[in-house]
Amino acid sequence: MTEKMCIVVSEGSFDKAMMPLMLGTTGASMGMEVHVFYTFFGLKLMKKGNKPKLPGMMSLFTGMIRKKMVKNKIPLPEEMMKTALDLGVNFYACSTSMTIMGVTEADLQKGVKVLGASAFLNMAADAKVNLFI
Amino acid sequence: MNKDTTLDTLGQSCPMPIVMMARKVKEMKSGQVLEILSDDIGAKDDMPAWCSRTGNQLIGTEQEGKIFKFYVKIK
Repeated sequence: MTEKMCIVVSEGSFDKAMMPLMLGTTGASMGMEVHVFYTFFGLKLMKKGNKPKLPGMMSLFTGMIRKKMVKNKIPLPEEMMKTALDLGVNFYACSTSMTIMGVTEADLQKGVKVLGASAFLNMAADAKVNLFI
Repeated sequence: MNKDTTLDTLGQSCPMPIVMMARKVKEMKSGQVLEILSDDIGAKDDMPAWCSRTGNQLIGTEQEGKIFKFYVKIK
């Protein structure tokens, strides 16, 4: 049976955008079935046209870190998202967070599905790797 | 070492060498040997881990300065 990896993303900053994408693409490349669930502030990462910034005061340096990543051939979150979808990584928006944040299905990026907590936990219950970001 | 194809991932950081390799392997046939070039320090442990997870066989590793060469036999 294919091994499963489930990740919960609870924050919407640049670093929190990168981590699940890096681990997700790696897991998918290792033949794992990957599910990433975006909840609370993490949800905004799944919105169309979202440009995440570093957290707090560091947000001023987001441009700098993006440049450094390009220089070092590290894909930016928007590119990494495309790669992840291409590799079959599943992205979910938490339905309750959507209600709280006033996000509709039309606001979500292409390929993102809406999911409830029990449906996600049903997958997480038999995943070998469960991560909270 | 004998090889059928070479994948150059020089300058790429984790996880890209693994992502690129996984894609390349899908295009190859069983029994073929893929040579992967990488200068990512993490690749030294990532490649064996990827191979043991996916059931492909790592048949050799060479190092020339900062460059690693991995030889993977496709399952």
